[in-house]
Amino acid sequence: MNAIEARDLSKTFRVKQKEKGMAGSLKAVFRPKLQEIRAVDQISFSVEEGEMLAFIGPNGAGKSTTIKMLTGILFPDEGQVEVLGIDPVKNRRKLAYEIGTVFGQKEQLWTHLTPYDNFRFFGAIYDIPNSDIETRIRELADTFDLGSFLNTPVRNLSLGQRIRCEITASLIHKPRVLFLDEPTIGLDPVVKESIRELIMRMNTELHTTVFLTSHDVGDIEKLCRRIIIVNGGRIVLDDSMEHLKSHYLHRKHKENAQPSEVTLESIITEIYKAQSLQHPEAPEPGMEV
Amino acid sequence: MRKYMVVYRSVVMEHLQYGAQIAVGFISYFIIIFIQIYLWNYMYGESGALIAGYTKQQMIWYVMITEIIWFGTRTTTVTKQAAGDIKNGNIAYMINKPYHYALYILTKYTGEWSIRLPIYAALAGCMGMLMVGGLSGFRPAALIAALPVMILGVTINGVFKLSISLISFWTEDSNPFQWLYDKLLLVIGTIFPLEVFPVPLQPLFKMTPIYTVCYGPAKLLVDFSREKYIEILLAQALYLACGLGVLFLLYNRGVKKLYVNGG
Amino acid sequence: MSTVVKNQLRVCLLSVKYNIMRAMVNRVAFLMNILFMILNNASFIIQWLILLGLKPEIGGYTLREIMLFWGLAASSYGLANIFFARAFSLPNLIISGKLDSFLVQPKSVLLSVITSATASSAIGDFLYGLAIICAFCFSVQRLLLFLLFAVTGAVIITAFAVLMGSLSFWFVKAEVFGSNMVNSTINFSTYPDGIFDGAARFLLYQVIPVGMAIYRPVHVMISFDLTELLMVLGYAVLLSAAAAFLFYRGLRRYSSSNLMEARI
Repeated sequence: MNAIEARDLSKTFRVKQKEKGMAGSLKAVFRPKLQEIRAVDQISFSVEEGEMLAFIGPNGAGKSTTIKMLTGILFPDEGQVEVLGIDPVKNRRKLAYEIGTVFGQKEQLWTHLTPYDNFRFFGAIYDIPNSDIETRIRELADTFDLGSFLNTPVRNLSLGQRIRCEITASLIHKPRVLFLDEPTIGLDPVVKESIRELIMRMNTELHTTVFLTSHDVGDIEKLCRRIIIVNGGRIVLDDSMEHLKSHYLHRKHKENAQPSEVTLESIITEIYKAQSLQHPEAPEPGMEV
Repeated sequence: MRKYMVVYRSVVMEHLQYGAQIAVGFISYFIIIFIQIYLWNYMYGESGALIAGYTKQQMIWYVMITEIIWFGTRTTTVTKQAAGDIKNGNIAYMINKPYHYALYILTKYTGEWSIRLPIYAALAGCMGMLMVGGLSGFRPAALIAALPVMILGVTINGVFKLSISLISFWTEDSNPFQWLYDKLLLVIGTIFPLEVFPVPLQPLFKMTPIYTVCYGPAKLLVDFSREKYIEILLAQALYLACGLGVLFLLYNRGVKKLYVNGG
Repeated sequence: MSTVVKNQLRVCLLSVKYNIMRAMVNRVAFLMNILFMILNNASFIIQWLILLGLKPEIGGYTLREIMLFWGLAASSYGLANIFFARAFSLPNLIISGKLDSFLVQPKSVLLSVITSATASSAIGDFLYGLAIICAFCFSVQRLLLFLLFAVTGAVIITAFAVLMGSLSFWFVKAEVFGSNMVNSTINFSTYPDGIFDGAARFLLYQVIPVGMAIYRPVHVMISFDLTELLMVLGYAVLLSAAAAFLFYRGLRRYSSSNLMEARI
């Protein structure tokens, strides 16, 4: 069975517009203008159980909107989703027991309390009895080396330790699919490395399916064997990492470039640029949908 | 001075967009005045006697005017925003900007009330004419004369509220002090005039800023007299000077503390 | 009790407990909030002393009974803001798309949301109400009734806030309207019902739930009446059901919404 199955997913947003200056303000009061943006446009893909998938694209490409539709936060305008055979629109609650989510920019932890207290809370949310939760916390703390700061309030932790706890908290109920939205944002290289290790270990030891979005090429390269690139709401590439690289190496070879110049970073940049030429009226940059 | 004008203009522009929302906020005002009308109808009964020297109409108009000031100046700029800037350390970035932080906040506050207050005044005026009736013996000249008193009163209010927010340099939360100031304003000057209180207390209340913020403008509008006018203007000048003095003193002390402790 | 309800209750209580623990991290601010809120409420005793100085009885009540209105309003509002503080900022959560994190949890979204904050000053409100009852009109029966009505009052006020807040699912501008309506319940509840008549009475009993949250309970506390008590209880249940219904209808709309403002 596939862990994630998406067919022809689409979602359109409307954005309010305002013209410049005092006149524009006055006009917006009486007749607000709306502009339609197709955030996700007929996306189809599937993810196998146990797979680690990189789902990337420039800002405003539709990554977060897709994640929200996969987790039942947003309902698609068109198309179908199934995660672990469950329809997020109809069975959001049932699905919630089976999946975990980490949004790198949003905190879900209580910052004034310790990781231990936090884990207890998430345990209660997922109906784990108090007797089991102690063992589960110990297990996770051992696996991910949290022992030294398990009883330090989260706000006194370093950003890296905090993200480790965020990820651990989302694993408390043994989810079968984990959605990671930019987990390494704002971290230094050493901490990034340790977060990647954690994700890696989680995937191999717990067999968790991982759906990862990131702007960090390192994350993608070190963790994922498959990559989906979206731009302007559409999938522009769905390929294995290996194939993608060899394909580009091959092409560059024809253009007489040095193999060392062909990095994943350069490939991705090239794809992004090529796409934005095709879609000159794509949503303004900086607008994370 | 020019940059403060630009700030003022931007705030007014931004606030124009919320015009409709501000007007919806009038519901709260309406309900409070609605209660007050019932209350004073009950208190005056059928007799038509004076209470503390006020006719029923004067009493209700007094409350309506003070509540206009209360609602018209109810923005979070001088309270939550300023206290928040200090609490979360944003202020460290703002004191290096080429404007004075306190004046910047006061300008913003002025921009906000210069949209809110007229909207409330217009709506309240209509409501009053319909539900209470015009004041007997009211002269339009009093309105013009009272305008500077109103502006000064509202400004003094902003200066004091901002000063209270600056306490956040020393305590985590300045909100409780804000409540106390608000309640003082509400109980002593807003829901009824000074004259209702026992005579021995009145001179004491006259020394509080409330006298200049809400009592002054409202009293002049419902019952204008030249002596009161001059007295209140003088008190306002005094309070504005004192208030600004306190404001700058607190600000400078606070910033100094920031430099020493690093935020 | 079914395990689902039990698990839900466990999460809610834990949430409130953690909220209070969080507030207590800064002990001085926490205590100041409570203390100053008590002082804040007490300042209104001055208002009533002045008004009662002008007329010995207002709306058929003396100071003792008027303090019952005040006490019950403070305690109900306090309880609501200890346990369900987020119900009062629901529009903000809806408009800025902050319900997302609650939607990925396998628990009642409504309960998780409204229990996710506690206003520490509300503890002061609650205590003030209790103190008023004990100081002005104490009897064991009245105290028990008072506690019961503080709970029903809190439920009614919260349900009304959820009802009004849920309007934001449909109209972005409903935020101001809703919060004005909720604030008006508080404004009305601190004035005795005896000064209102006609249309105002209708408004207070039929449109804004002050009649059921505060006025009727005060009548019962002054002279006991079982039917009135049952009416209040029934109303609390009914209003809660209506609030939950509207909220979940709105939540479906939230998830299928197309407004960008809500989703960035």
